[in-house]
Amino acid sequence: MTNQQSNHPGIEQFYKMKNIIWVIAVLVLVFLGDRLGGWVLGSVVENSEFRYSRLYRNNADCDLLFAGNSRGLIFYQPYIEEKTGVSTFNLSYNGMPMDLAAALIKDHLDRHEPPKVLVLDVTLLDQRMDRRLLTGFNCYTPYSERLSDLMRDSFPNDYYAGKVTHLYRYNSEVFQRAFYYLKKSDEDWLLDRVISPSLQKDVENQGVFDYDFTPEMLESLAAVVEFARQKGVRVELVVNPYFPPFAQKIGNLPALKMAIEKSTGLPVHDYSNSISGVDGFGDYQHLNKTGAKEYLDRLMKDGILELPEDLSSR
Amino acid sequence: MIFNSLTFLIFAAIFLPVYFSLKGRARLFWSLAGSYLFYGWWDWRFLSLIAISTMVDFILGQKMAQEDEEPKRKRLIVLSMILNLGFLGFFKYFNFFTDSFVTMLQGFGLDPSVHTLNIILPVGISFYTFQSMSYTIDIYRRQLEPEPDFWRFATFVAFWPQLVAGPIVRASDFLPQFKNDRSWDWDRFSSGMAQVLWGFFKKVAIADSLAPFVDQCWAEPMAFTSINLWIAVVFYSFQIYCDFSGYSDIAIGSARILGFRFPENFRTPYFSQNFSEFWTRWHISLSSWLRDYLYIPLGGNRDGVVKTYRNLMLTMLLGGLWHGANWTFVFWGFLHGMYLVVQRLWGKTFGKIMDLLHFPKALKTGVNIALVYAFTCLAWVFFRSPDFSIATDVLTNMLSFEGFNFVSVMNKFMVMKGVLLIAMLLAVEVTDLKIQWGGVVQRSPVFRVASFAVLLWLISFFGTFGSNAFIYFQF
Repeated sequence: MTNQQSNHPGIEQFYKMKNIIWVIAVLVLVFLGDRLGGWVLGSVVENSEFRYSRLYRNNADCDLLFAGNSRGLIFYQPYIEEKTGVSTFNLSYNGMPMDLAAALIKDHLDRHEPPKVLVLDVTLLDQRMDRRLLTGFNCYTPYSERLSDLMRDSFPNDYYAGKVTHLYRYNSEVFQRAFYYLKKSDEDWLLDRVISPSLQKDVENQGVFDYDFTPEMLESLAAVVEFARQKGVRVELVVNPYFPPFAQKIGNLPALKMAIEKSTGLPVHDYSNSISGVDGFGDYQHLNKTGAKEYLDRLMKDGILELPEDLSSR
Repeated sequence: MIFNSLTFLIFAAIFLPVYFSLKGRARLFWSLAGSYLFYGWWDWRFLSLIAISTMVDFILGQKMAQEDEEPKRKRLIVLSMILNLGFLGFFKYFNFFTDSFVTMLQGFGLDPSVHTLNIILPVGISFYTFQSMSYTIDIYRRQLEPEPDFWRFATFVAFWPQLVAGPIVRASDFLPQFKNDRSWDWDRFSSGMAQVLWGFFKKVAIADSLAPFVDQCWAEPMAFTSINLWIAVVFYSFQIYCDFSGYSDIAIGSARILGFRFPENFRTPYFSQNFSEFWTRWHISLSSWLRDYLYIPLGGNRDGVVKTYRNLMLTMLLGGLWHGANWTFVFWGFLHGMYLVVQRLWGKTFGKIMDLLHFPKALKTGVNIALVYAFTCLAWVFFRSPDFSIATDVLTNMLSFEGFNFVSVMNKFMVMKGVLLIAMLLAVEVTDLKIQWGGVVQRSPVFRVASFAVLLWLISFFGTFGSNAFIYFQF
């Protein structure tokens, strides 16, 4: 404002009012845009074919339910369905921590007719799993009290930020995936590549790998197992395969298995060293499509994926 | 205190209204108190360093101005240099030089028992030291009158918007601005706020979204396929640009709201067509500081070709070392020095070759920009790596081209988000060359409102809010 303008009280008042109106305009525009954007993005989440959208749309009935971290993605659904003829659903996600997996499994069991078998890769019992992944599931908190509570208790800032600005709720890779799978199935989500020679060599330089699990994780797992059993679901706990030279570097796998067996009362089927061919691995923690098929054949042969006899009555 | 934190929002919400409600000395004291609080929030013990540096430089500046005898003036400026560089050398370089000395002796078969110290590096020490040094050097050169008011000088040294990561503001630019009218001004507020929001977008949306991919690749370079390393290097080039220029934008915008004009610190550096141009567009306040207080005093380009090259190399090597106590930073500076030398040697020949090949102007421009960007990225590999072994792993893996295909890209969603954000940044910067968005924001209130809203939506939708510190804090 120029000095000349400020010499006239009326004009000064006018400019002050004008600026205040602009500030209000910004705030109103920001708020309305945020709510409109939130509504549009919410529609994307609700209509997506992404696994968690289907879960919260109550459209994820199955006979075989799978869960795990990125290593759980090797429960390759198209192949299992082709071989067994039963329906499947996989709740696995990269870096999934145990408490998040527990909430998702319980939500699935509450919202659907219980599956016959729940297969859980127990290697998600590791503190290295990304607990901040929970914040990525902010876009599903409006549909789940469990997720909402977990999020509020673990990451209150993110939870309340998602209440203040609805756009923030969709600020995550989880939402990006929901958008990507808006019109297509996510069941083909598995590595295609073969572990590179340099990565194979790199395994030799790796130190001892120990799972960093806590009593809380064991309790959470035991609670899920009990919850599933009460719903009449058979639970199978497995350790999915690692690249053999890496599997040999794992120090405390026996301790992890023992602790799990003690807390859940179930055996842990150890397949950590069950696939030997290099061509079956995408990297040293993950099977690729070829390896996954070989592994699933093994699980079918061992009866892990076998349904109880009353399947035909469903 | 860092800009991208809730603490800073609370700080700003209290600081600004009180600042504008005060006048004269009260406002000055409030600014100084706010600046010390801003810095002390990180570690209050290091406030004493700023205070000592301020007091000594203020006294030496006064004495130098009163002194006519050149030898005495020289003694005073040397004393100022010893103090400023002494603090910097001890806190930033003591362990580095001790370790390097021990390694060198071990190379001669000796085994000295020298202990390093557990020294905490004070945040932003390189910035405020250079700022304070420029004051006494300018007085010594008789280019600046000493500031008679101690509290103004103390506020200049510690002023919170630029205290920890620049831009490095010269006393001759800053101190006279205390005489300006700095009462509340809506236009200044809105244009400052637009720059602050743009800075936040660059930091929390772009830089912090690119960081996880870069960090993963640099943590274990041999664990990823070649294409991932290529992506990581490109991402890092934009991460560091958006991180640092984002901080500068927030600092410059905040200062503008408070009534101060800071110099521009970045000007679309990745569109540079040669390395001399790059250094007039990247971290401008540091490169101009090094030019005025190091390169020109060394002789600049006045004493023949060989000495010009020597001066360029020395300036860039010290510029590299300024960034951190690590040989990888020195090597980064060495590479940039070499680029400048090679450009002077063969730049014109290269231009003539393109002329002979009848390259159209647009293609020539494109080739130049691409070459400068590619070599800048090569230097970034060393800048980002904690040691030469990691840098070698990154480059070896990149050049192996093993798994150089789309299938091998890890976390494609993170990559796609990064590419989208970089594309948005480049779109703004390319169009800014013609449209000058800052001017449009100033002129059109409707556009201003819309840009504020869009930036806030983008920050909300793309931002990463983990209170990630700015990269340049460590320098």
